[in-house]
Amino acid sequence: MADFNVNLRDVGPVSVIDVKGYLDAHTAPELENVFNKLIDGKQFRVVVNFDELKYISSAGLGVFMAYVETMRENNGDIKFSNMKENVYNIFDLLGFPILYEFFKNEEEAIKKFLEAQKS
Amino acid sequence: MKKSFKLFTSYNFEKLITLSVILFLFNLVFTYHSTGFLFLIHEILVFSTIYLLYQNLHFFLSQKTDAPLTLVINSGILAAIIFSILSITNSIYNSDSEGNISFNFFNSLLSIVILFILIISLVYIFTTFRELFFLRQKKDPSTYFNTMAVFISLSFLANLFLVFDPSIDYVRDAFYVVSIILIVLNSVRVAWIAFLTKKQKQYLLLISIVLTIVFGLSFSLVMDSNIVKKLIYSFSPGVHTIFSLITIYGMIYFIVIFFTTLFHLPTAEAFDRKALEVSSLMDITKLITQVFDFKELADTITAMTTEICNSDSAWLVTRDKNGIVLNSVYKIGFVDADKMCKLILEKNYEFDDEIKIVESNYLNQEINYQEEHFNSIAVAPLKVYGTTSGYLFTARKGENTFDNDDKKSIQTFANYAAVALENAMLIKESIEKERLEKELDVARDIQRKILPSKLPEIDGLQISALFVPAFEVGGDYYDFFELPDHKLGFVIADVSGKGISAAFIMAEVKGIFESLAKTIINPKNILIQVNEILKNSLDRKSFVTAIYGIIDYESGKLSIVRAGHTPLIRVGKNGLEKIQPGGIGLGLDFAKNFSNSLQELEINLDNNDIVVCYSDGIPEAKNSKLEDFGYERFENILKQNYNKQIDIISNEIMRELSLFSKDSHQHDDITLIIFRWNKN
Repeated sequence: MADFNVNLRDVGPVSVIDVKGYLDAHTAPELENVFNKLIDGKQFRVVVNFDELKYISSAGLGVFMAYVETMRENNGDIKFSNMKENVYNIFDLLGFPILYEFFKNEEEAIKKFLEAQKS
Repeated sequence: MKKSFKLFTSYNFEKLITLSVILFLFNLVFTYHSTGFLFLIHEILVFSTIYLLYQNLHFFLSQKTDAPLTLVINSGILAAIIFSILSITNSIYNSDSEGNISFNFFNSLLSIVILFILIISLVYIFTTFRELFFLRQKKDPSTYFNTMAVFISLSFLANLFLVFDPSIDYVRDAFYVVSIILIVLNSVRVAWIAFLTKKQKQYLLLISIVLTIVFGLSFSLVMDSNIVKKLIYSFSPGVHTIFSLITIYGMIYFIVIFFTTLFHLPTAEAFDRKALEVSSLMDITKLITQVFDFKELADTITAMTTEICNSDSAWLVTRDKNGIVLNSVYKIGFVDADKMCKLILEKNYEFDDEIKIVESNYLNQEINYQEEHFNSIAVAPLKVYGTTSGYLFTARKGENTFDNDDKKSIQTFANYAAVALENAMLIKESIEKERLEKELDVARDIQRKILPSKLPEIDGLQISALFVPAFEVGGDYYDFFELPDHKLGFVIADVSGKGISAAFIMAEVKGIFESLAKTIINPKNILIQVNEILKNSLDRKSFVTAIYGIIDYESGKLSIVRAGHTPLIRVGKNGLEKIQPGGIGLGLDFAKNFSNSLQELEINLDNNDIVVCYSDGIPEAKNSKLEDFGYERFENILKQNYNKQIDIISNEIMRELSLFSKDSHQHDDITLIIFRWNKN
């Protein structure tokens, strides 16, 4: 149906996942693959950049829930950044801001990781 | 038919045995058959025996004609046997005495045995030649061969007359010469050589040299006026004639074979390739009916493509509404193949009509990151019913580009492959569809049984509930619980995900709420308990959003808790209000976070207020441009129709919703519950 794209890049010790388009039950496995790859590579600090994401369904939200525990157990985390208002509202409605950290932009999220590393 | 034929031959075989025995005894009894009469009988006996032997061997050999080399080798072995027998006999008898053979019993027995072996071998060789002669002939050449056989027979029989009148030996000589001419003519029918593989041809070349020599030597041994000639001649002059004719035949035949094979050798490789193409095409037609697995079929096709046109790599893409999909690669990396085919197909080449060749100089400018360097790539469209469903790529590294023959065979192959792939795809689709439909039926069934079949009837509280399932069953659930002290509990929930797994979780959620609503009065505690119970059954990526509320329909007091669900909407004479107490979805967290986040809200309703509960199927309904229906439209309808009957409000919302998303299908369940508190 709709397009979805996912791209992975490294910014210092942090991995940034750019998600683009429509994240739903049909496209969620693509994102899952990326997370699996990160875990295989022992990379647990992840920022998801939502700048170009247009829509997220419950199955899309489920992807983050599925992996966040593993990341946190290994002193990492999944942080969100650059979220559009309509996408943020979906996260907000579900109460994600209580459990996850959201940032205006990617740099702040990365900074947060780096600070945590120092202390 | 077959049975009668067998009977006939076995009858013939019996005759052959009988005749042979008679001939054998005849020779033992009459060691000298110098008298004309005896001689005549003996010659006729020999001739009949040979004829029957020929018939029997012909029947035996005609079943093995698919292996011409075996036939050649068989005749070669027999020729070698003949030659060695001749040589040994020659040396044994020569050392015995000069030309005077003492015909004692032992000697005559030995000579008869030797002669029998010789005759059998000769006839066998002759029959072999016959089978080779008929091999791979399109027209029936039996006339030519039979004429030759007749003349050879005449040469044999002509010897009979020599006994009565030696002066007419020119008759025999004439037949003899004609036979040789016919032999030469028949020897050039060697079409079967062309169908041998290169290796077989090289082998045949060697054999033919050896056999020419063996036959030549045998011929000279027989024609030489030595003891062997005498032996055979005294047995039967006809046999001697035939002996010489067949050895001549062998000599000529193998010379011809030698040269034919020699001339065929340069083209042997091309011929091999062609034969491989044909057999590959046969293989794929077989595959069409045997392989239904799309991936497996695609892999077989790419592997065969390289075989057919002698190329280094092959890959196959299909085209669907999402674009080009790389399905299978053979001897090339997946990434490389993907890049290459995108590059080629983007270049506005018209590939859809027929096979095209893309040359390296065209590619090199853009492909420098390639590990693989291809000189030419053939792109054949996969066409079914006139539309192109994909492309078959095959590439060569070497300097030799694809010629017209290659193009033709690749395209032919691609045409077959396209049909096979289409079949596999259709089968896959129908299986998938059937499976999905069955699953959906089950899920729908569960959902139908879980939702309340009728609404509670309460004075002072009107209730309207509407549920529209999506094609792919979502996980919407709602229910009402009549509680003591003029209270009504209600729940609306939405399980993440779709289909049968969502339906199962939904069934579990129903069970949990049903049991808890009766025992726990506090809405917040109910949700905390639900979350606790779901911990054991939800997988990590699933969650449930819900609102649980209790309405006191005497006082109009409404207390609700929300776990990540879409907010409640209250519309009254003072306008519209979204009610969104804090609370995270069920299953998101199983620690303190959940209970801490839950906020219980108490609202005192005014008379005629409506309260709307709904699932995200309404605000997230999409139109063809993938835009959301959104809250604004939803709220406007509620505001405008607030005074109407709640069933009418509900219908109005659904009407607007279906107008909005008329061009796209409903992708999530829609649940809409409206309460109106009306004390009077």
